[in-house]
Amino acid sequence: MDFRLPPESVELAEAVREYLGGTHGPDVLRQLDAGGNRDLRIWQGLVEMGLTGLLVPESEGGLGMTLLDGALIARECGRACLAEPLVDTALVAVPWLIARGETGHLAAIAAGEKLVALPHAVNPWVADGEGEELASVDPLRNLVAAPEGAGDDPLLLDLGALMSAAQLVGLAEAMLDQAVAYAKVREQFGHPIGGFQAIKHKLADVAVVLEFVRPVLWRAAQAMDDGLPSAPLHVSHAKYAATDAAYLAAESAIQVHGAMGYTYEVDLHFWMKRAWALSGAWGDRNFHYHRIEDAALGGAHPLGPQHTFA
Amino acid sequence: MDLAYTTRQQAFRQEVREWLAAHVPAERLVTLERQDGFDQHVAWERELASGNWGMVTWPSEYGGRGLDLIEWLIFEEEYWAAGAPLRANQNGIFLLGPTIMEFGSDEQKARFLPPMAKGEVIWAQAWSEPGAGSDMAAIKATARREGDHYVINGQKTWSSRASFADWGFGLFRTEEGSQRHKGLSFLLFDLNAPGITRRPIRQLHGDPGFAELFFDEVRVPVENRIAGEGEGWKVAMATAGFERGLMLRSPGRFQATAARLMALLRETADRASPGLREEVVRLWMGAQAYAYNTYQVAARIMAGGSIGAEASLNKIFWSELDRAMHRAAMHLLGPAAELQTLPDGRANEWLEGYIFSLSGPIYAGSNEIQRNITAERLLGLPRVGAG
Repeated sequence: MDFRLPPESVELAEAVREYLGGTHGPDVLRQLDAGGNRDLRIWQGLVEMGLTGLLVPESEGGLGMTLLDGALIARECGRACLAEPLVDTALVAVPWLIARGETGHLAAIAAGEKLVALPHAVNPWVADGEGEELASVDPLRNLVAAPEGAGDDPLLLDLGALMSAAQLVGLAEAMLDQAVAYAKVREQFGHPIGGFQAIKHKLADVAVVLEFVRPVLWRAAQAMDDGLPSAPLHVSHAKYAATDAAYLAAESAIQVHGAMGYTYEVDLHFWMKRAWALSGAWGDRNFHYHRIEDAALGGAHPLGPQHTFA
Repeated sequence: MDLAYTTRQQAFRQEVREWLAAHVPAERLVTLERQDGFDQHVAWERELASGNWGMVTWPSEYGGRGLDLIEWLIFEEEYWAAGAPLRANQNGIFLLGPTIMEFGSDEQKARFLPPMAKGEVIWAQAWSEPGAGSDMAAIKATARREGDHYVINGQKTWSSRASFADWGFGLFRTEEGSQRHKGLSFLLFDLNAPGITRRPIRQLHGDPGFAELFFDEVRVPVENRIAGEGEGWKVAMATAGFERGLMLRSPGRFQATAARLMALLRETADRASPGLREEVVRLWMGAQAYAYNTYQVAARIMAGGSIGAEASLNKIFWSELDRAMHRAAMHLLGPAAELQTLPDGRANEWLEGYIFSLSGPIYAGSNEIQRNITAERLLGLPRVGAG
């Protein structure tokens, strides 16, 4: 029993955070928004970091890492509001293909030459797929209508939900950071507004919620890595809790920004809209709630403290 | 990351479970906020000690088992799942004990820790004063040095367990004219010492759980001071860290409450609104999240890390979770919520628990203060004015 993130996984995630922080700031989001939405140079940078091959076995030219590592990276993608379809291809499609024994495209995926956009019955759209275009509230999200008869594979759903939850955590963390940064410099009544308790307590509430979402996310990722029968419950818990955290962070951040927060000029809206989009993706709040209720209240999952890690 | 218990940990859980099954009183004890109930709880402390379960993480020479934090968490999980009584010596074993372990001399450890683990000496805390609540640095009670004694004068209040306990600990101003955090010392005193008057205060439920303490020329030997003269604030902050951090509220307690709440929801399913139903499931999720977080913190501490201002996040989370769980139970019980004894003859533990849960966001540093600490020390927001 050792509930610590592996130091080497944390180091990799920090390196990715640093890289995206330096190369993928709000100015990049604005350039993408002004035209194109995708940029091959950004994608190439991710490939060079090895991220497209993160979960691809070493024999296929990847890094062969775990879903927990994947969740740590997906969180960084959320934090940077990354628009490129790295998570769907490298962190959702790859482990699903591996589980199915479909390894033919893994080397090409690792090399960044192939994108995979998988439809699922739970999603009425496919992100970065091909077909009739749908408009998302997120200006950097490319959606098309889902094809007829998409499958409802449970593993694919759990992978998509886990990695969405991880991105939501990163998005929420970034929105809290933006609100804190703004509260330190915006002055009213002769003081930075972050000195006022009404602002402090609002942002402290977000910090509390995030502190207790992160371990749920890690626990869900580890449950999937361990192949626990209870993994779907833990994934649903993570998605549900991350959704609430992201909405709370978004609403708190816009409130702290005041009228500035209600503009397109302030960066916050990119993160907020991604959070709204991912909250409904790969099983919305209702879907995951019902899975949790069925397992926990329905009796399939044993209750009581001795079953915490069941 | 490894989220499986070792064989040894599983065997330990089994050992704890079997001992508790054989020893936990079948009859629920009277509340420890009354003298008769307090005596019952002290007897239970001694029963625990007879099985060497007083404080499992302490070294054996101090009455413990030398176990690690994971084993402590397992012990606590089994303890609360078994419906075992509240710990009368909580202030001792969870707050003062770790403080003495960190700051006390070898003589102090040998003198105070074993009787604490054995339940022979029950401890009360004495932090607050009428003018020093959330602003604890406003403490006025003085301890004047006279040779090898301090002479204490002043008043403490909201002193948990002090109506019935044996000894107390708190901060006193040992430097005349000192201000705020400076000039304070951490002293231990015999509650039966001449010059101490205890005035029990009736709590919300009507029983005298805490007390006011009046000190009139109370003589305390210098060897009862923990750490150096004037270092009291530093020591007290460490104690407060234990209190808000890992030890005061182990997750097993809230998970046991969450499991009972889920059972109550099943019993009252025909009455529960969909919103209340979802609220209960959310609260169960909250208790799980609290457990994961605690295991994460425990692993970090075992690897040489520490818990700092994150303790404030913890305290906000568990105290509000506990209140919300009991509130949900009150709503599920509906018209029976007000009854001291439920129609089926059981004591209304939810009512008692709800009343107690209202104190959680207030004691150990109010949650408003914890939110200030979170904002200032974790988020780096500026301090404006008092705080």
